[in-house]
Amino acid sequence: MRIIVLIGRVLDPSGIVVKGKAGRIFINREEYLLQPADRCALEAALRIKDATGAEVVALPRGPLPDDDVLCQALATGADRAIYLAGDGFEAVDDAAAVRVLAAAVEGLGGADLLLTGATTLDTGQGQLGLRLAEALGWPQVVGASHVEVGDGQVRAVCQSSPPLVEGEQSSPPPVGGGGGGIGYVTVEADLPAVVTLLPGALKPRYPDGTRLINVYRGVGEVAEGLERWDVADLVDAEALKPLLERRGREFPPERERGARVSGTPEEMAQEVARALRQRVRR
Amino acid sequence: MDFVLSEEQEMFRAMFRDFSAKEIAPKAEEMDHEEKLPLDLFRKAANQGFLGATLPENYYGAELDYLSYALLVETLAGDCMSIAVTLATHVSLVAMSILEHGTNGQKEAWLPPMAAGETIGAFALTEPDAGSDATHSDAPHPSGTVLQTRATADGDEVLLDGVKTWVANGEIAGLFLVFAQGPEGGESFLVPADSSGLTVGYREPTLGLRSITFNTLHLEGCRVPVANRLSGPGEGRMVVQRAQDRMAVALAAAGLGVAEASIDIAAQFASERVQFGVPVAKKQAIQEYVAEAFTEVEALRYLVYHAAWLADQGGDLSVDASVVKAFSARVARSVTNRMVQVMGGYGYMEDYPMARKYRDARALGIIGGPTELHHVRVAQRVFADLDVEIAP
Amino acid sequence: MDFTFSPEHVALRRMIREFAENEVVPIAAELDREHKVPLEIMRKLGEIGLLGVCFPQAYGGMGAGEAGYCILMEELGRVCTSTATNVGAHIGIGAMAIHLDGNEEQKRKYLVPLARGEKVAAFGLTEADAGSDAANIRTRGVREGDSWILDGGKVFITNGGYADVITVMAVTDPALGARGGITAFIVETDWEGFSVAREEDKMGIRGTSTAELVFEELRVPHENVLGKVGEGFVTFMKSLDMGRLTLGAACLGGAQAALEWSVRWAKTRKQFGAELAQKQSVQWKIADMATEVEALRSLVYRVAWMVDTDQPFSRLAAMVKMYGSEVASRAIDTALQIHGGLGFTRDFPIDRAFRDARIAEIFEGTNEIQRIVIASNIFREHGVRIRP
Repeated sequence: MRIIVLIGRVLDPSGIVVKGKAGRIFINREEYLLQPADRCALEAALRIKDATGAEVVALPRGPLPDDDVLCQALATGADRAIYLAGDGFEAVDDAAAVRVLAAAVEGLGGADLLLTGATTLDTGQGQLGLRLAEALGWPQVVGASHVEVGDGQVRAVCQSSPPLVEGEQSSPPPVGGGGGGIGYVTVEADLPAVVTLLPGALKPRYPDGTRLINVYRGVGEVAEGLERWDVADLVDAEALKPLLERRGREFPPERERGARVSGTPEEMAQEVARALRQRVRR
Repeated sequence: MDFVLSEEQEMFRAMFRDFSAKEIAPKAEEMDHEEKLPLDLFRKAANQGFLGATLPENYYGAELDYLSYALLVETLAGDCMSIAVTLATHVSLVAMSILEHGTNGQKEAWLPPMAAGETIGAFALTEPDAGSDATHSDAPHPSGTVLQTRATADGDEVLLDGVKTWVANGEIAGLFLVFAQGPEGGESFLVPADSSGLTVGYREPTLGLRSITFNTLHLEGCRVPVANRLSGPGEGRMVVQRAQDRMAVALAAAGLGVAEASIDIAAQFASERVQFGVPVAKKQAIQEYVAEAFTEVEALRYLVYHAAWLADQGGDLSVDASVVKAFSARVARSVTNRMVQVMGGYGYMEDYPMARKYRDARALGIIGGPTELHHVRVAQRVFADLDVEIAP
Repeated sequence: MDFTFSPEHVALRRMIREFAENEVVPIAAELDREHKVPLEIMRKLGEIGLLGVCFPQAYGGMGAGEAGYCILMEELGRVCTSTATNVGAHIGIGAMAIHLDGNEEQKRKYLVPLARGEKVAAFGLTEADAGSDAANIRTRGVREGDSWILDGGKVFITNGGYADVITVMAVTDPALGARGGITAFIVETDWEGFSVAREEDKMGIRGTSTAELVFEELRVPHENVLGKVGEGFVTFMKSLDMGRLTLGAACLGGAQAALEWSVRWAKTRKQFGAELAQKQSVQWKIADMATEVEALRSLVYRVAWMVDTDQPFSRLAAMVKMYGSEVASRAIDTALQIHGGLGFTRDFPIDRAFRDARIAEIFEGTNEIQRIVIASNIFREHGVRIRP
C-alpha cells in the first residue's frame, strides 16, 4: 500500500509582528514550521504504516526553497520524499501546482491514499487537497480527525456542522482526535481517496533522532529516500501558468467598537435583534 | 566617637543570644520545613519583652533603644531570619507607627496588646499595580502610582475597598495598618483583623522566609470607625517613609545576623572537613572566601549600628536607611553564597542550615524596597547638593 | 572559521526545543514540588534516540557528537535543570565511561541498551570522605576467583535511586593509591549486595535522585571490570572531563532562560509610568547578562568542536564548567532581582531556577577543583607541578 502526504511550510507566527494601523509586517525571526495540519496528515499516514507496513511518500504542496520540510518528513518516518523544482515552478498557484502534483502521483505509479492538511496556517486555505482529488478523479473526505484503512476503503471521522441530520451520530472524538464540533460523522470511501486532516487532530510524533542526523547529513538508507524531480519531466510549461494574478495587498479595516447589552436573556435577545435590524438598514 | 556597646547593650545582647540559642535555633529547620511559626514562640518572645521592644514602659514595652533592638533582630536572624523579619514588621512598621503618629486613644488601645504579643501587626501598602512605586501620596505624584485602595467616608465609619498584596504576617495579624486613597489624598487606618469586609486571602509560597505568611488582603466594604484613622491627607508620605526607614535598619540588622551566622557555620565545617589530608580551612581559596566575607560583615556591622544609633538621635534617617539596607542586601547575598560554596554539597542539602540561610538572605534584595530604589534615593541625596533633581 | 551549526544540528535543536516545550515544561514545576524523577520524560527521550545522542550509531546511539549532546543539554537546561541533570548523569558520565573504556562485549551488553534508553545509567565515585578528594575513596574491591567482591558505599550519586547500571570506582590495591590501585566496575543494580540507603533532601534539582548507595559483599563478575584493573582513576578522570563540558551546556540553557524571562518581564512590567526596560539599571543588567550568555555559548560549542575533532580539551572543559556555572548563577540571580516579588514566589519558575542553578558550582567537581585543574594545566606547560 502507498500513502502520499502533501506537506508545506509556513513562517513561524511567533516571529512575526503585524502593525495593522501602520500597514506593516515585521519579521523579527524568520523561521519556518511544517504546516501543523500537514503534520497531522503525516502522523495519520505513519500510524497506518505502523499498522500495515504501508509505504509513505511525502510530496511538497508547492515550490520550496530547500528540502528542509521533506527531510523532516523522512526523519519522522516517511520512506521517500520528492523535492520538486524547475523553471517556472516558483510562480505557481494552487491551480498550477495541482497539475504538477497530479502528474507526480502518476509518475510514482499511483497511490492508495493521499493525505494532507485541511487548512494552512498562514492563508487559511483548504483547497489544494480538494482540487487534487478532482484532478485525480478520487473521492475526497474533508476535515478528518481520525483515519483508518481496511478492505479497500478509508474510514474517516469528521466534524459535522449542526444541525444533526438523520444518519449522523453524535459521539466523542477518538482519543487524540481533535474537532469539537457538535456532531461527528464517520465517512467511508473507496480507495484511492483523498483525506484532509484538521490541525490539532492528532499529536504528531517527534522525528527519530538517528534518522534525523542521517538524513540531514545525507548518509544512510533514510537519506536515499530523498529524491529530486524536475517538473519539466512532469508537465509542459503551459501547465505551470498560474490562474491568479497578485495585484496588491491591503490590511483589513479597523474593527468597530461593539456595544454592550444587559438584562435578562429575553431582554438581551430583543436588544440584539433590534441592533442588527438597524445595522442592516444602514 | 565611641565604638563600644554600652554595658547595658552588652547585657541585652547576651540575653538575646541566650534566648535565641535555646528557643529559636532548635526549631529553625522545622519552622522552615513546616512553613509555620509556632504560636508559643510569640508568647515566649513577648514574655521577654521582645514584641514591645522599643515601646515605652507605660505601654508595657521594654523601652529598648533602637541599637539594642537592632542587636535583638540581628541575634534572632542569625538563628532564624523569618522570626526576625516577623518581629521587625510588627515593631518597626506597625507598633512604632502607632507610637509616633497615633492618638492617645489609639496608643492605649493597641500598644499594650501588641507588646504582650496578643495582637500581631501587619503593614498593608503594596498593591498588584503598585509595587516599588507605591506612593502613598497626598496628591498624584508624577513619578509614582497612586494607590487603588479607596477610603470612603460613611458617617462615623470609613469604608475601605481594594486589594493589598505581599502583606507580611497576614495570617497571624490581629491588626492591619492599611494605606488607602481618600477623597482628598492618602490616608491610613488601623484595621482589626476581625473587621467585617476584610478577608486574608492567598498565601504566597516563597523561596525563603518560609515561615512568614505573605498574604493577599481583600477589603470589600471593610468598615472601620473614623477613630481608627492613623493619618489623614497630607500626612501619608511621612508615615510611610518613617516606617520604611525604621524597617530598613531592622532588615539590615537581620542581614548582618544571617551573614555572620553563615560564616560561623561554614568556618566550623571547614575546620572539620578533611580532604587531601587536611581540613579544608587550610586551603588558601577557602581562607580568601572567609576573609572577604568577614571583612564585608564587619563593614556592615558598623554601618548597621551607626544607622540604629542615628534612629535613636531622632533625626531623619532617610539616606542612611537606604545605604545600610542596600549594603546589607548585598553583603548577606554575597556572604551566604560564598559560605554555601565553602560547605560544598553540604551547603546544598536542606538538612544542614546553610541552604536555608542562602534562601532567606536572598529576600533582602527585594523586601523593604529593592536595592535599585534605595540607590536612587542615595543618588538623589548626592546630587541634591549639586542642584540636580533625580526622579526614580 | 565557520561558526555555523551544521544542518543536522540545526534540525536536532529544533526537534529538541519542541520536545522540551511540549513535554518537559508542563511537568517541570511538579517534579520540583513533588520531588519526583522524570521517568516518563526519560522514556520518551529514549524512544526517539536522544539518550544516546553522542554515542556511535553502531552501538545504538545517534552519532550526533559532542555538539549534538551539548545542544540536547542546552535545550533541556533551558526548561528544567532537573531533567537535564538526570540526562547528563545517564549519558555524560554513566554511559560515557563504558563508551570510553568498555570492550566490545561490554559495549554490546550495556552501551547499546543505555544508548537506546532501555536502561538508565549512573556514575558511582563520590564517598563521604572523598568529595573533591576523589582519590580518597574507601570502597574495597577484592578478587575472589572469577569475581570481585565490593564492600563500601557511595554518596550523592545522581540517578542512583533508579539507575539500572552504575559505573562504580573501588580500591583494588590500597598500597598503590590512585595510580594503579583503583578499578572501575560495571555494576547492575539488581545484583545481590547492592542497595540504596537514602535520598538526599536538596535545596534544588529536586526532580533528581541523589542517592546514598551501599555495597555489601556485592559480587561483580571479572568481565565487568571496565578498562584495566588498577586503571580506574584514568577512566573516571576522562569521564569527568567529558561530563564537565555538557554540564556547562546545561548552564548555558539555564542562563538563556534567565535572559528570556528578564527581557519579557522588562518589556511587560510598568513601574513609575514606564516599562522596566526604560530603566538603565535594567538595561545594564540585561546587556551584561546577554554578553555573558554569548561568551559562554561560544566557549561551549568551540570545546564541543574540539572534542569532536579529537583535540585535547581538558583545560577548556574545566573552564566551560566553571564559567558556565557562574554565568548561570549570575544570570538567574539578576533575573530574580528584575522580577522582584514575582521572582521570590514559588508560583513562578524563577525561584526553582534559582535553587536549581546553585548546585552547578559544586557538583561534578567544585569550581575550586576546576580552578586547580585549569591552573595545573597552565603551569604544567611551564614545567611547574601544582600540588593540590
